[in-house]
Amino acid sequence: MLQLAFDIGGTFTDFALSDTDTGVLAVWKVLTSPDAPAAAVIDSLSERIGIGAFVPSAIAGVLHATTIATNAILERKGSRTALITTSGFRDVLIIGRQKRHDTTNLHIDKPAPLIERADIFEVTERVAPDGSVVTAFDANHAREVAMRLSDADYRSIAVAFLHAYANPSHERQMGEILAALMPDCAVTLSSELSPRFREYERTSTAVANAYVKPIVASYIAALQTALGELSIRPELAMMQSNGGLMSASQAREAPIRCVESGPAAGVLMAARVGAAEGLSHIMSFDMGGTTTKLGAIDDGVPVVTPTFEVDAVNYRPGSGLPLNITAIELLEIGAGGGSLARTRMGMVSVGPDSAGADPGPICYGRGGDTATITDANLVLGYLNPDYFNGGAMRLSAEAAAEGLIRDVAAPLGLSLHQAAWGIHSVANANMERAMRVVSIERGRDPRRYALVAFGGAGPLHAARLARALGIPRVIIPSGAGVGSALGLLSAEHKVDAGLTHVLRLEENARATIAAIFAEMEARVPDGVGALSRAASMHHVGQGFEIRVELPDDVTDIPAMREAFFARYRQEYGYVDRDTPIEVTDWAVVATIGAAPTSLLALPSREGTGRSGSTRPAYFPEAGGMVETPVFDRSNMKPSTAIHGPLLIEEPECTTLAAPGDSVTATLHGNLIIDIGAAR
Amino acid sequence: MSIDPITLTVIWGSLNSITEEMGSALRRTAFSEAVREGQDFSTGLFDASGRLIAQGNFTPGHLGAMPYAVQNVLAYVPPQHLGPGDMLATNDAALGGGHYPDMFLVAPVFTEATVIGYVVTTAHHVDVGGLSPGSQAVQGVTEAFQEGIRVLPVKLVHAGEFDPDLLRVILGNVRLPDKMRGDLMAQRNANHVGGERLRQLFASYGAEAMADAIDVIIERSEERARELIGRLPEGTYSFEDHLDDYGPDTPPIRVAVDVTLKDGEATVDFSRSSDQVPAALNCYMNYTRAYASFAIRVFAGIDLPNNAGIERVIRAIARDGCFFNATWPAPCGGRAAVQVRIFEAINGALAQADPSRAMAAFSHWGNPNIGGIDRSGRPWIMYDLLLGGYGGRADRDGAEALSPVMNCANVPVEVHETNNPVRVHRLEMITDSAGAGQFRGGAGLRKDIELLCDDATLSLLGERHKFQPYGLFGGKAGVPARTVLRRDGMESELASKQVTRLRRGDVVSFRLSGAGGYGDPCRRDPQQVRRDIRNGYISASAARDLYGCE
Repeated sequence: MLQLAFDIGGTFTDFALSDTDTGVLAVWKVLTSPDAPAAAVIDSLSERIGIGAFVPSAIAGVLHATTIATNAILERKGSRTALITTSGFRDVLIIGRQKRHDTTNLHIDKPAPLIERADIFEVTERVAPDGSVVTAFDANHAREVAMRLSDADYRSIAVAFLHAYANPSHERQMGEILAALMPDCAVTLSSELSPRFREYERTSTAVANAYVKPIVASYIAALQTALGELSIRPELAMMQSNGGLMSASQAREAPIRCVESGPAAGVLMAARVGAAEGLSHIMSFDMGGTTTKLGAIDDGVPVVTPTFEVDAVNYRPGSGLPLNITAIELLEIGAGGGSLARTRMGMVSVGPDSAGADPGPICYGRGGDTATITDANLVLGYLNPDYFNGGAMRLSAEAAAEGLIRDVAAPLGLSLHQAAWGIHSVANANMERAMRVVSIERGRDPRRYALVAFGGAGPLHAARLARALGIPRVIIPSGAGVGSALGLLSAEHKVDAGLTHVLRLEENARATIAAIFAEMEARVPDGVGALSRAASMHHVGQGFEIRVELPDDVTDIPAMREAFFARYRQEYGYVDRDTPIEVTDWAVVATIGAAPTSLLALPSREGTGRSGSTRPAYFPEAGGMVETPVFDRSNMKPSTAIHGPLLIEEPECTTLAAPGDSVTATLHGNLIIDIGAAR
Repeated sequence: MSIDPITLTVIWGSLNSITEEMGSALRRTAFSEAVREGQDFSTGLFDASGRLIAQGNFTPGHLGAMPYAVQNVLAYVPPQHLGPGDMLATNDAALGGGHYPDMFLVAPVFTEATVIGYVVTTAHHVDVGGLSPGSQAVQGVTEAFQEGIRVLPVKLVHAGEFDPDLLRVILGNVRLPDKMRGDLMAQRNANHVGGERLRQLFASYGAEAMADAIDVIIERSEERARELIGRLPEGTYSFEDHLDDYGPDTPPIRVAVDVTLKDGEATVDFSRSSDQVPAALNCYMNYTRAYASFAIRVFAGIDLPNNAGIERVIRAIARDGCFFNATWPAPCGGRAAVQVRIFEAINGALAQADPSRAMAAFSHWGNPNIGGIDRSGRPWIMYDLLLGGYGGRADRDGAEALSPVMNCANVPVEVHETNNPVRVHRLEMITDSAGAGQFRGGAGLRKDIELLCDDATLSLLGERHKFQPYGLFGGKAGVPARTVLRRDGMESELASKQVTRLRRGDVVSFRLSGAGGYGDPCRRDPQQVRRDIRNGYISASAARDLYGCE
């Protein structure tokens, strides 16, 4: 059957069309229409249908990733939202966790909350940590509050009571009152969305969900209608942050689960490419114009974390709004092609601010006036000024050189090429440090991993990044420039359910554990396929958990203990068998419906016809500016190795291999770079 | 020095990231609420000669004391007596972080037989014994011997393993041995992680390049710090304020500072302050210096990770026996109450040098410990951090509810109630508490806690009950703090540093002061006043009185 996937990003909207049996049929990209994201999608699809590229009624699945929820939060353009909370705790959301993300800056401000203090209302009720009721839910008080909210024209309401994870009955009663008195208003209950402890994080999640709920609902409805008018009728399947798909109707209830869905799709693509090449340990490296996303895949499975932070300041942990959503482990850093380069204290500094798409790097000639990584890459000869974005844009190397001399070379007393090389190297070093966080710091030995590199700039930086980290092999997937859209085709329909129930992992816990899983599995819809079960555990007394995949028999306590010890040793190097283990959070993940497209290789494309050409490019390993072979990716045939230094061009990106590296094309259409011995 | 700019950039970035990685390992494996939730710990890297080269984004009191703690520890156990995997510990107030709960763990890092540097962690351990739960009681403690176990520098970890005898001695003297043991193991994890990464860095670049890079980093940091301090007008600036007291029915403590800026260097002198006091509030020099140095760095905008180069241009002094340079065996468990005031005194003085960089006084903060034995015979301690608002600034209001000066997170209500026999009745910002101004201060914070077991000991560590947080340049002072005990329907006021017994059903209501305002309230934008009324930060009647609008 035919599947259509599209990923709406900040600059480009990427499309992929596939047949689930035979593989990818086409990929393409158009500029995003930021004010009405659906417009560019519909325009492009109409055009394709018009020229007979595909028959709309033949499409059986539509897969979608979007930044609409993320942007509504980042730009504070969500709906008018109120929060109802336990009497006495109005300020939990405003207070937050209170640590400065920058110790020596006392002039910082906390991230602006999504709602004001005036939007927060209290209702008399109280539950204890064990779920017992301390103060009964005051229905009269609740109705009074609901009447006030109704008069004040709120469009969406979050309800977050203290300890609601332990007993949701008061939140449910509040929900019923709101449904009766404000039938048109969207309602989010913290105990349904995220029944987990730590009140600030749970409340923050509920409020963020409420804040984007009406917007996402109307966006999905409009998109679905417009697709229907094109005779594309399947219900949209939306990408979640955790790499699973959910139905549009589920996304309307829990839109916050769609934050960062595009980058998550990229990690899925990396996993799929690794699997095709017979590799199960993958680091993914997605470098675009503004940011770089790093992920990890262990044993073929993308790592999923139990929490996520949105709107962080300069990617500093603790500076954003925490969300209790499962999310594919991603580290996003402020280094992309558009990152600005400057000098500071006699050194080169790159990013985290970016020239973005507008005005863009100097070499775009669209008003950018500060040197960027892309400008440095152009000066170094890595980019072809006449074949950027498949020739759709022409770059000015002269303007880039001028800017580099002014901004970096002159102030530091370096030559033009030294300065450009410095920017390229510092960008690599920034990414190397971030990659260390994802790899070494989290117990992954880079020597056991392959790096899957994609995004507009990823294939250019990957070989050197791999070498610095000791990663022996890089894979540049087929269609690297539209990696996230391809990733959507790799996704499965997933539903997860989770809850907090603090329990010591001891023999007498068997019955309780069985009951916990029975309850969660009852929340998963019928007709699901494979179920996987996980628990977040720590030693009694610790405050952070490790998520451990559980054996099929969830009442096998010794096996669960051993699974925890194995993960703990991997993370921290030590095991403490004397201190009891406690589970805090429990989860089931269910897979539903059809299997995704199995093959991601692109059909053969028209070549550039320039294989065999050369151009000067900077390889200090080879003595500086050297005449470098340039290959056309569409002409690359499997099994013959070619040796760096070299450049390989395709419409959406350029691949670089350094001296000592060798490149082979595989039967699946991917490029494999074997990294030569370290310097 | 021949090191190229690129290598230098990469090495410096890596050194700083090592300290962050250490922090992550420590926090994620710690056991006490103070460390794992409150993040009351710090990490650092030193070169082979004991010079500070990098520190993580943690709390300034630890960070500032660390260079001296390392020197002191190595004076007791010189490097030639150390091998790979060894770690030295001390919690001495004078040698280390200014009170016994702060335990330093210093580990040499070796390549083969050579020490290439040191990795260091400090963590606030929730109890080290002594008079009352939490080891921070002020009232009733007149000498350091009442404050718990004192560990002069010892080799606590031998080749990666804790010395079982020493550990038994230490844990035998504290109220929550499991938490302390767990946090010490977390510190060892962090040192292990830091040591591995430093070794890798040396292996990548070689000892020579590393030594060059470290010299340049320290040199450039010093230059940059001199340049930034040099941008402030030279002169001597003085400021005076008072701490409430050092327990019920005791006199105020004078906090007097003279800050001299000259030739790009800053000298902070607290000698005109009161003498040390017979209660556990005194500051040893390491502690005073840590926050004095921090205050200068913040005020001058020294935007670099701290290292020995920056330390060179900032000098903190106080006469011997002064409250800010206490002499052994002065008790000091509650000195954390003073750190905000060290910063504020310097800020108040330097406000005269550059009003645009100054901020009015904080809400201050509260650090109460409630502890006892619960019904099942289990000892418990609720270590709490009450964090209020910032003072108004030259261009905007003070931040609401943010960690002042020191840098910790709060402990969630749901965590406290799960682990301790307490119920929190309210946690909210206090209407009409903020100091008025063109840019107002942040609000005070109120938290009401009920005891659910038979009895417990409450050690209060508050401030600003008597002396309000100051306003600047026409801004008003914040409303003073109160601590109210409600028992059997009757309310009574507690002193800011009182130690008292609680009974089942007692409710202690902590009410932090409001932060000070900046600039004449009459110049406040009426829109902002209306917004504050709508959000309940001020009442309509107070708005009329303070700002002359509706």
